[in-house]
Amino acid sequence: MLRRSLVLAALLVALVAATVCSLAFGAVKLPFSEVVDILFGNGGSEAQRQIVETLRLPRTVEALVVGAALSVAGAVLQGALGNPLASPDVIGVTGGAGFGAILIIILLPGSIALLPLAALAFGLLAAALVFVFAWSGRNRGSTGKVILAGIAMLSLFTAGTTGLLAAFPERAPSAIFFIAGGLTSSGWEEIETIWPYFAVGFVFALFLIRPLDRLALGDDVAASLGSRPQLIRLGAGIAAALLAAASAAIAGLLGFLGLVVPHVVRMAGGTSSNTYVIPVSAIGGAALLAAGDTLARTLRAPIEMPVGPFMVVLGVPLFLWLLRKAV
Amino acid sequence: MAPQAEEGGSRGRPQRTHGPMGVAEGPLGTPSAPALLEAHGVEVEIGGTAILRGADLLVRSGELVAIVGPNGAGKSTLVRAVSGLQRPSGGDVRWSGCPLGDLRGRELARLRAFVPQRMPVPAGISVREAVTIGRSSQLRPLSRLTGADRDGVDAAMDRAGVGRFAARALTTLSGGELQRVQVAIGLAQEAPLLIADEPTSQLDLGATIGVATLLRELVDGGLTALVVVHDLALAAAVADRAVIVAEGRTVATGIPAEVLSAERLAQTWGADARLTEHDGRTALHVAWLGSKGVRAP
Amino acid sequence: MTKRFGRGTRGRLSLLLVAALILTALCLPASGQAAPPQRIVALTPFAANTLAKLGVTPVGIGQTLGGNERFSPKLKGVTVLPLSHPNGPNLEQLASLNPDLVFSSKVWAKGNQAMEGLGMDVVLHDPRSIAGALADTFKIGTIVGHKHYARDLLQSMRKQVESASKGTEERPKVMLILGVGRTPFTFLPNSWGGDIVSKAGGELLTGGVTSNSGFERISDEVVVAENPDVIIAVPHANADDIPSLTEYLQSNPAWASTNAAKNGRVYVSVDNSLLQAGTDIARTIRKVRSAYLKN
Repeated sequence: MLRRSLVLAALLVALVAATVCSLAFGAVKLPFSEVVDILFGNGGSEAQRQIVETLRLPRTVEALVVGAALSVAGAVLQGALGNPLASPDVIGVTGGAGFGAILIIILLPGSIALLPLAALAFGLLAAALVFVFAWSGRNRGSTGKVILAGIAMLSLFTAGTTGLLAAFPERAPSAIFFIAGGLTSSGWEEIETIWPYFAVGFVFALFLIRPLDRLALGDDVAASLGSRPQLIRLGAGIAAALLAAASAAIAGLLGFLGLVVPHVVRMAGGTSSNTYVIPVSAIGGAALLAAGDTLARTLRAPIEMPVGPFMVVLGVPLFLWLLRKAV
Repeated sequence: MAPQAEEGGSRGRPQRTHGPMGVAEGPLGTPSAPALLEAHGVEVEIGGTAILRGADLLVRSGELVAIVGPNGAGKSTLVRAVSGLQRPSGGDVRWSGCPLGDLRGRELARLRAFVPQRMPVPAGISVREAVTIGRSSQLRPLSRLTGADRDGVDAAMDRAGVGRFAARALTTLSGGELQRVQVAIGLAQEAPLLIADEPTSQLDLGATIGVATLLRELVDGGLTALVVVHDLALAAAVADRAVIVAEGRTVATGIPAEVLSAERLAQTWGADARLTEHDGRTALHVAWLGSKGVRAP
Repeated sequence: MTKRFGRGTRGRLSLLLVAALILTALCLPASGQAAPPQRIVALTPFAANTLAKLGVTPVGIGQTLGGNERFSPKLKGVTVLPLSHPNGPNLEQLASLNPDLVFSSKVWAKGNQAMEGLGMDVVLHDPRSIAGALADTFKIGTIVGHKHYARDLLQSMRKQVESASKGTEERPKVMLILGVGRTPFTFLPNSWGGDIVSKAGGELLTGGVTSNSGFERISDEVVVAENPDVIIAVPHANADDIPSLTEYLQSNPAWASTNAAKNGRVYVSVDNSLLQAGTDIARTIRKVRSAYLKN
């Protein structure tokens, strides 16, 4: 118990530190006291206020929410599918979201304002197709079917994306931003549109914590305890799809978090109990993405680098160290 | 309807009387114990094949019922069907008079605890955590564990004899220890009826004795148990009543010693065998290499 | 006829013939290399339009799939070769035109190798500055054997560019960005568009960043701090997308505090003139001045 509490405390500290750094640091040097003043509504020039209120604050919030969402999506799927390699990519969301975004960028650039919604819609569509196929025929909703259907959907949408990029190579550079994955400082607009999907996804995940624990003891024990295993898997799929599609709509295609953060939490905390893993993964993922994004924005300021490599640089050594100890 | 005395009286258990069909009617001198589970004519079809073609089952409060039968007879399917884990295609199943179809998952969880033969062993879960999961079915969706719940978890672990390794990970347990933990998870549900599907089939002799003793003690302490058993001698030793299922039907039910007669063993299992009990040990004497006069099924 | 020429005349004639032959042989190297290439393919719009300006008609020109390139009207009717990654033109199509010279770009590196393997001469031009474009114009003119005309053309183009960039009243701060979204992927001075805008009198917003590629993604914080007067976006889109794209960029909350956003000076340019070297440089500069910089 002590170990788990220590890990939780450490991650909370990391979260607070990452949040503070994300607000305090950026391409433009602002004294910390100034930032605090502005956050509390006092002073600062117009440009400074713009930087803190419209650029850094929403971006920090986005980093925290997306980091938590992707980690929770991964944890929920790993529990539901009973497979340590499960992540939001497996249910087709990333492929679909990528396709939706590229579709807008390449075929309908005038409707660029709809990009987040297109990514969201196609992400959810892909997940829905995966579940429809996985629930048909025999062995409805079994892990194997979900994973295979997910791979098929991913291939399908990736092929579509590649085809579009090949047909319009001139327009590819705009698409690369989305595919590489990363946050943008665009004020509160995107969050204001997309937050309901996050909210529903998080609430679903919350209610899935105990059922997923039951599922860990096997379908029979779960049924004995009053749960319906197929419904739990379906609910988990819906929660993960919502969280991952909403994340893709805001932050492009970010891998790594969904797969690795839950494992880091399990290994560090020494438990697979979802009552611990799911909430703590949210905290860890939020801290990691906020920290990675801050580094991506500040290391070579004023150049903004993609956030993916920074998360990997921060997360992989920790993951490997824990792996050595655990296995 | 003359009562017939049970042969196992030397074990000191309360004498039981029998009505028609050899069904026990409760200790002498007391009204018959209520039926927790009644099933008639249960039919189950899996993948187009009829597995159960009309099986019957009756479990009264306070007894340990063993279901025995040849492989493929449908024993597991029967207990899964009456437990609500497998949808029956026909027949009538009632829990304390309430039809199975009317019972929701949580309500059923309070009536019966199902212990599968072998549950998957998840990494990173301790014994205490697993038993707590068993307890969680009693909780409202987001409510926290109360002190009473924690006590319930401790009690379940103690009753099952796994309290001493509560902090160990499931992956470090032996087969027998794991089976006991599974029973503890079932006990945490605080349901009056524990259903176990072949709890000892994969255990060695010592572990089997341990689990058998555990089940018997639990039932003596007031629990009701329905157990699918492979080992006929074990069934005879441990159960108050045996139900024989063959080819998807219930073919006999009664006191193990009576109903598992040599004729029955020959007819249903095609074996030249005899159950004996002596000095507290039950044994099945089998002509392993076959003999004349007994037809193979 | 031979009867009228005596032996003396025949001897003089032969001498004359030999002398003429020797002179011709001597003159041949003096007139430069082999005759200028006859069958030319221009895969970049810059090369194609330059050839048109020089009065040379190529046998084939390249156009990217879904691209927006503009070609000189003099090139109407020339075979168009669709270009796609990574080779550029379909090599069989190209070979069927039997060119001796191909003007290509670094972008089609893989195809260029194959073209050389097929025995074609491949010359690359990827001008990223006005000076570079003028120099390349001269080089192309020389290669196709119109050196003198090219020199004149070069001088006249230079004059036009100078006159187009004269008399700028203001030097507004300009953020020139690439792409269809709100990411500030800016043109730096060492890019084509960056050079045009600089020549047109704009001061490019770069955040002090330099890069070999001529582009860099800079932070929105720097955009806010440097406060551009004009924002020009160069997306890959169609002309009818301009209104909605302008609106989208104008309403970007991140840039709300900039002069550009406040004064409604956010523009969208889809015609490639800022993306790729063109031959109507002076006209491009004038357009930038009048439509965007208003100087």
